[in-house]
Amino acid sequence: MRFFREWIQRLQGTLFPGRRDADLEHELRSHMEMAADAAKRRGLDPDDASRAARIEAGGASQAMDALRDQRGLPWLDDLTRDMSHALRTLRRTPVFTAVALLTLALGIGANTAIFSIVNGVMLRPLDYPKPEQLMYLTTEFPALGLTRNPLSVQEYLEFRQINQSFAAVGAYRTMGGAYTTGEVNLTTGGGPLRVRSMSVDAHLLNTLGVQPAQGRFFSEEETNRAGGLAPPLAILSYELWQTVFGGQPLLGQTVKVDGRLHEILGIMPSGIDVMDNHTAIWLPLGLPAAIRQDRGFHSLNVVGRLKDGVTAQAAQTELNALLENWGERTGSSGHVPTNRPSRAADHTLQIEPVQDAIVGDVRRSIVILQVAVGFVLLIACANLANLLMARAESRRREFAVRAALGASRSRLLRQTMTEGVMLCVAGGMLGLWFARVAVQALIRAYPTSVPRMGEISIDLSVLLFALGVSMATGVLFGLAPAAQGRVTDLVSAFKEGGNRGASGAGRHHIRRALVVVEVALAVMLVIGAGLLIRTVYNLTSVDAGFDRSRLVTFSMTLAEPYDPDTRGPAYQRLLDKLRVAPGVQGAAVMSGLLPNRSPEAIPTGLENHIASDGSAVEVVDYYQFVMGDYFETMGVSIVAGRSFEPADAASSARVVIVNETMANRIWKGRNPIGQRVRPNLSAAIGFGSDSWHTVIGVAKDVKQGGVEKETGTELYLSLDQLAMAAPTMNVVLRTSLPSAALSRTLERLVREVDPAVPIVRLRDMESVFAESIRRPRLLAQLLGAFAGLALLLAAVGTYGVLSYMATERRREIGIRIALGAARSSVLTLVMKQGLQLTIIGVVIGLAGALGLNRLIASMLFGVRPTDPTTLAAVIVTITLVAAGACWLPAWRASRLDPNVVLKAD
Amino acid sequence: MSNRTPTKADVLQGTLDLMVLQTLDSLGPLHGYAIAARLEQVSGGALQLNMGTLYPALMRLEQRGLLRGNWGTTETNRKARFYAVTPAGRRQLAEEKHAWDRMAGIIHTLLYSET
Repeated sequence: MRFFREWIQRLQGTLFPGRRDADLEHELRSHMEMAADAAKRRGLDPDDASRAARIEAGGASQAMDALRDQRGLPWLDDLTRDMSHALRTLRRTPVFTAVALLTLALGIGANTAIFSIVNGVMLRPLDYPKPEQLMYLTTEFPALGLTRNPLSVQEYLEFRQINQSFAAVGAYRTMGGAYTTGEVNLTTGGGPLRVRSMSVDAHLLNTLGVQPAQGRFFSEEETNRAGGLAPPLAILSYELWQTVFGGQPLLGQTVKVDGRLHEILGIMPSGIDVMDNHTAIWLPLGLPAAIRQDRGFHSLNVVGRLKDGVTAQAAQTELNALLENWGERTGSSGHVPTNRPSRAADHTLQIEPVQDAIVGDVRRSIVILQVAVGFVLLIACANLANLLMARAESRRREFAVRAALGASRSRLLRQTMTEGVMLCVAGGMLGLWFARVAVQALIRAYPTSVPRMGEISIDLSVLLFALGVSMATGVLFGLAPAAQGRVTDLVSAFKEGGNRGASGAGRHHIRRALVVVEVALAVMLVIGAGLLIRTVYNLTSVDAGFDRSRLVTFSMTLAEPYDPDTRGPAYQRLLDKLRVAPGVQGAAVMSGLLPNRSPEAIPTGLENHIASDGSAVEVVDYYQFVMGDYFETMGVSIVAGRSFEPADAASSARVVIVNETMANRIWKGRNPIGQRVRPNLSAAIGFGSDSWHTVIGVAKDVKQGGVEKETGTELYLSLDQLAMAAPTMNVVLRTSLPSAALSRTLERLVREVDPAVPIVRLRDMESVFAESIRRPRLLAQLLGAFAGLALLLAAVGTYGVLSYMATERRREIGIRIALGAARSSVLTLVMKQGLQLTIIGVVIGLAGALGLNRLIASMLFGVRPTDPTTLAAVIVTITLVAAGACWLPAWRASRLDPNVVLKAD
Repeated sequence: MSNRTPTKADVLQGTLDLMVLQTLDSLGPLHGYAIAARLEQVSGGALQLNMGTLYPALMRLEQRGLLRGNWGTTETNRKARFYAVTPAGRRQLAEEKHAWDRMAGIIHTLLYSET
């Protein structure tokens, strides 16, 4: 307690020194005088008496030091003194301070911004109880290259039955074939809305461990009701309830979802979602019989909660054991999961933590960006270290004098560090502001580029990160001047100070090393950015198999009271109107929007065919249901046979068209025309009876699962012939008008068909494409920006160091010129010095880039990490930039007037 | 920094505080020189405190609330700062005396008892 009080007093003594120095000195002086009095009384003369007193009482100045230390907290005293000193120094050199602050703010800001993404997306746990227990169960088709695929209903039910690791397992569905349970039309007072939906079973909320905030969740009986149509029940997300319904009491009332009145059973708590689906309406699962019974139809997303104490590892081990003999355990046969997938249709089951599944492939991009901004910050540090070193150099004498007067080395070190840390804290605060602005802008500009976007914010851990980075940066570059050391050597400091010719070469090692490091880091970043820019270029120039210029597309849903048979004519009516609309050259309707659909993997019967598993069934990746002049409108050429014709619609002979990949994979060189297939209509579109269809043509491959993916097998079916349609279809128009100019006309025409149906996602095909590659594009843009920043900083750094070294050699250069050296040879001399460093940096950077290959390789498309063109372009760019940075100081050195230089010393 | 290096003051600290408190408690308010002179006298000249040791100790005791210092005038008409023990200081002194007695007793027994 006493000690506590002492420290409080000392803290007070530091902040508001109660007893001034004068007071203390007075006390010591009176002590001294009394000691002298006593000595006089012992008979000494005044001079001897005062000397005796000094010997007896000790030195007043040492006593004062001890008293000052006791009065306050010495380190705090020093710190405040250092800080005010640093502040004065910084204010005296506004340009240096501004450059340093800006560099730091950019470096720290970029790091903080990226970290806030890392934090929100990857680090922050999901908003469920014990989120680490939640696992996402998926099927993998190694032979087809399909990952994170849904399960079939059978598999899901069997897994729930036989596993021992999970306390609860639930399922949901957001899409599957041409059903769109992923989105619904919501009729509100303010017109029709399209909102995200999810069909869930009763076990899902148990698994997640959440309860509705109001009302109740679906019962098992309600979600299990068989049949094509789910019971008209719905649960709303808190956000939808607030924004659309203004938070009014809604339980037990009805809202119109997809044209049917649904009773509102409950409201979910705020922020509750599954797998980043942005779910606004929760519906009961209600599976059609066809999907229930068909093992080949993978449509359920499955989430499980591990039992307490069971690890993900243990659960996967158990799962592997189950896969060993799944069929025998469950008494099922045919399309069952296995742990030895070899044939095309073979699949296996896999679990991964839900959080990992949500973040998915984005994790790697975020890691790459974090590494990149780390590099930028290191370059910024190197630059600042350089600047501080140059300043320390000019303060060498000051430090040497202070060291000679008794300042300890650590004391001097602390002073230079204080300056660095202060700069960094100020830069960090500025950077934090930058980061806030940048992250907000990013979220606004690219709302769906990153999963869990809503969780990205500047929270406490981001603040701590920014503070930590700032402090570490400050210490790092504040140390550099100390590292060049030897400040304590007074004599040599003065000697060197007077002799600026050849001295200081040793100290330049650090500077040179900094330049090399900067160049190397910049090379790595620019190579990474170059490769990603090439990737984006390659992605945009991929031949997607169709002509995407002058194509406009939108989506619409004809929900209840339409049924499959009335939807067909409704879409036909719309197509008839669209074909004659002004500016429209062609119109068609399709079930799946290119170039980025989810794979459907529908088992399809084939005539006279034996698949690798002995059956006559092959899994077809995509079914495309089309209406109207699809191939002509899209510009997809028919490479063999013929296209659908109006006559087919009237004919009872069912026809299909296959793509090249399917023709090659299934008929392997035999002529596919005339072969017969039995499309699984009920699995693909939910209605229609299966029957034999004859292949009449082969269409050129188009990209379906993403422009970077291999084209999958695809089967085209004519809705003109089937005389039906799925609820949600994509309309596509070949037109000379931009989508914006068409929107009025289109809205009017759709309204003429049905006034309650909204037009959704009206865009031209180019923007659909841009959307499909938004993530690699954003990564390339951000990395490109960071690489540009790195290049700029490295150029500034190289320039700074070289100017400094050239200035130090002024005398030598002056003498050379005076002795008749050509100006050009001086230019070469300095340039050579700089370019040597650059080349070393480039070589190290290339080696580093090769080392980082693995990090970036999987992000690339159509370009290898060692792509010679990119590497050469990068080397040339860096060398040119470096040459520019070296040339200016070299040119200045070559212009030196020897008279001026030699007289100056 | 300088108060971290071990000095004579640190070595003496525990006992010095006790000696100063005891001196002031028995003799009443004194100034620094008088305390030093008294301690030198009592120790027969063995204990010579210099200012760098004495005054920080006085300041420390004051900061802990065990002493209170006030400017006053000596009998030779010099201005000097007089230190007096506070009630808290008296309690502290009693505790430390007790502790010292116990420790001295233990040490004595340890060093000189038979067996």
